[in-house]
Amino acid sequence: MSFPKSLSPSSKRLPTVEIQLDQIEEGTSLWQDAWRRLSSNRLALISFWLLVAMVLFCFVGPLLTSYSYRTPNLDNALQGPSWAHWFGTDDLGRDQLTRVMKGGQISLGVGILATTVSLIIGVLYGATAAYLGGKIDNAMMRFVDVLYALPFTIFVILLMTLFERSILLLFLVIGAVEWLTMARIVRGQVISLKRQEFIEAAVSMGLSTRRIIVRHLIPNVLGVVAVYATLTVPAVMLLESFLSFLGLGVQPPMPSWGSLIKLGADNLQLYPYLLVIPALFFSLTLFCLNFLGDGLRDALDPQSSKD
Amino acid sequence: MVTDWLSNSRKLGKYLLVLALASWVGCGDRIPNADQAVEQGILLKGNGAEPRTLDPQKATGVTENKVISALIEGLVTYHPTDDNEAEPGVAESWEANEDSSVWTFHLRDNARWSNGDPVTAHDFVYSYQRMLTPELAAEYVNMLFIIENAEAFNRGTVSDFSEVGVEALDDHTLRIQLVGPTPYFLGILQHYAWSPVHQPTIEAHGGMTDQSGTWTLPGNFVGNGPFILSEWRPNQLLRVERNPYYWDAERVALNGIIFFPISDDNTERRMFDSGQLHVTNTVRSNDIPNLRRTQPERLRMDPYLATYYYRFNTTRPPLDDVRVRRALALAVNRQRLVERVTMGDQSPAYAYVPPAFDGYENQTSLRHDPERARELLAEAGFPGGEGFPRLNLLFNTLEDHRKVAEAIVSMWNEELGIGMQLENKEWMVYLADQSQLNFDVARAGWVGDYLDPMTFLDMFVTDGGNNNTGWSNAEYDELIQRAQRSRTQEEHYQLLMDAERILMDEVPIAPLYWYTRIYLIDPRVKGWEPKALDNRPYKYVSLEAE
Repeated sequence: MSFPKSLSPSSKRLPTVEIQLDQIEEGTSLWQDAWRRLSSNRLALISFWLLVAMVLFCFVGPLLTSYSYRTPNLDNALQGPSWAHWFGTDDLGRDQLTRVMKGGQISLGVGILATTVSLIIGVLYGATAAYLGGKIDNAMMRFVDVLYALPFTIFVILLMTLFERSILLLFLVIGAVEWLTMARIVRGQVISLKRQEFIEAAVSMGLSTRRIIVRHLIPNVLGVVAVYATLTVPAVMLLESFLSFLGLGVQPPMPSWGSLIKLGADNLQLYPYLLVIPALFFSLTLFCLNFLGDGLRDALDPQSSKD
Repeated sequence: MVTDWLSNSRKLGKYLLVLALASWVGCGDRIPNADQAVEQGILLKGNGAEPRTLDPQKATGVTENKVISALIEGLVTYHPTDDNEAEPGVAESWEANEDSSVWTFHLRDNARWSNGDPVTAHDFVYSYQRMLTPELAAEYVNMLFIIENAEAFNRGTVSDFSEVGVEALDDHTLRIQLVGPTPYFLGILQHYAWSPVHQPTIEAHGGMTDQSGTWTLPGNFVGNGPFILSEWRPNQLLRVERNPYYWDAERVALNGIIFFPISDDNTERRMFDSGQLHVTNTVRSNDIPNLRRTQPERLRMDPYLATYYYRFNTTRPPLDDVRVRRALALAVNRQRLVERVTMGDQSPAYAYVPPAFDGYENQTSLRHDPERARELLAEAGFPGGEGFPRLNLLFNTLEDHRKVAEAIVSMWNEELGIGMQLENKEWMVYLADQSQLNFDVARAGWVGDYLDPMTFLDMFVTDGGNNNTGWSNAEYDELIQRAQRSRTQEEHYQLLMDAERILMDEVPIAPLYWYTRIYLIDPRVKGWEPKALDNRPYKYVSLEAE
């Protein structure tokens, strides 16, 4: 069993611990290590830069095309890909390239934001419950069970009708219902970690509960969390398209990859390009996220070898 | 009929259909493909959503009607080609008094229920009593309110049914006393709300007001139509077979019909293309241009007695201002809408009542006039759309409605400079929002129930059940009332024309186009004529191998 480097050698005199910890961490922090290891993982690195390119494409791209994603051009409907419209036009004659970009904004936005929200809530909640244990753990996890039992759609509909409708709220609402599994996974991990020596050492040094959770437990579960987060992103993107379909999500003319794919699937036989192109972007993004998540798990695991 | 034939439970239906298809594999030998079915004389028909009930007095949808009209026959029934003609059904002949307020029907002696019992005038009296009994809560009960005292009986102010104007003079003579002159009564009488039901069957399964509908299940169902119900697998199929007791059984060419509840257009299309259907329920607008080129002989676009329109919520500013409503209605380029968006030979509608009636001329002041629209909007205080609040446009979740909505919102934006937020909702929510006036502008469609302009115009009377705009006009109400009592066709039409003029001057609704009934049909299906109400007397339909 190897400890995080910062903890092992120098815990003789309590008052100096904090200063020494900070000094030792310099130059070899978790994140620096992680980045170093990530850079040596070719697939993960390519995925990372592809995702960066995708974000640029979606957020900067619409400024560069001369078409509007919303104004129909009825004389130009359902044209296949051409020089004027690289990805063709949709059933109201709008440039599909622009709509794919705009749709990406929503899908990537909801993917990243909702996952972040679910990460923050889930990790903190799960770690706290597991570390505190006992009755508090019991109460906190039963609350999660109750939320699990609530039908998801009803919960979302409730939240969406209680508050003013907006895209941002949609992101938050999805995040707010997606954290449950995350909390359970983190709790399981932390329970197995908290009995280990490095935590006992941290306790014996008199660190505060909050500090132990944030500095010592959470970094150790980040690997699992990273992998689960990359699985959450696609799930969240799909959820968004499902909600849009029910009329609770993004409303037309604003597209999302989910709604573009749905339109494409409906017209697959005659206009396959309407499905193929957005589906390509969607799956490319998901692939990249998966490879990156894989790489992140290796890179973030403090227990893996450092050289 | 309830606002729309296009299905609503599409999404759920899709998943159920996957299940349905999976289970078909298991018993596939029993369902013939289109070629085998032609040989066996079985028509395979796509029928939209799953029928909610086969009880003719509880049914409210077009889907249900398609099945019920194969199973039950009224006094008069659908003519194979001409919608204005009434085809004799159980009634062999009939006569009306001078002002068309008392009708006497002579029932044929050989009309039989599917268990062999004779169909008598008493069956009709029983059926109308059941329909009017308040506990049954039949949604279409108001169709029968033209019978003397019927409304009073339904409201409970008359408790003795013998006071209601329906009387069996003997086993084969039925007299119906109406509240007033009703020259178009035979048209109304074709509606399934007037269907007879079999008293012993109903009494054996829970009685007159039983809501469970067990009497309509296969094995229990007793009807008097050309076909009998033989199998009903929910969400898979509904099978009817030739009824040997039907009085005109020799004329029935088909041995059976299988109705498939396919709510997903794509699945339906694939089934048609792969030879599993003879007639589809609908065609998606995006497929039409291609079908016109590749299979014109299979594509049908029949005129249909139905109007697609937008409702304005006249209780909310700024739509409470008639100038604003008018501006919105004038700014829409309907010609372009039907040519480029709906693409199915629909006609642009500048008035509400579909142009299907000889002697009835649409009265309207609407046209495509963006210039005037801008002036009106400026007069109302929103020059160039400035200061116009962001309104919501409500529609039920369906690709073709979404297309129309996006096209129209962009026309309003282009011509008037106003923005509007689209809001699609699930069918049931969409219906609830409309009846609670919880919308600004809402998409709507109305399919005529019978062949008279009244089926369109009477819904906009003050507090009418399908008004849903908050609009009310005393003069309009009075014209409709007088039209209901008018003695001659000319007078009737004239009053309704005056009413339509008021409707189009006040614009609580903006008509967009008159529907066409668009479907694919196997050329081997014969006797499937264009009908304004899309009603099929199945006994005249046949299948012929080429």
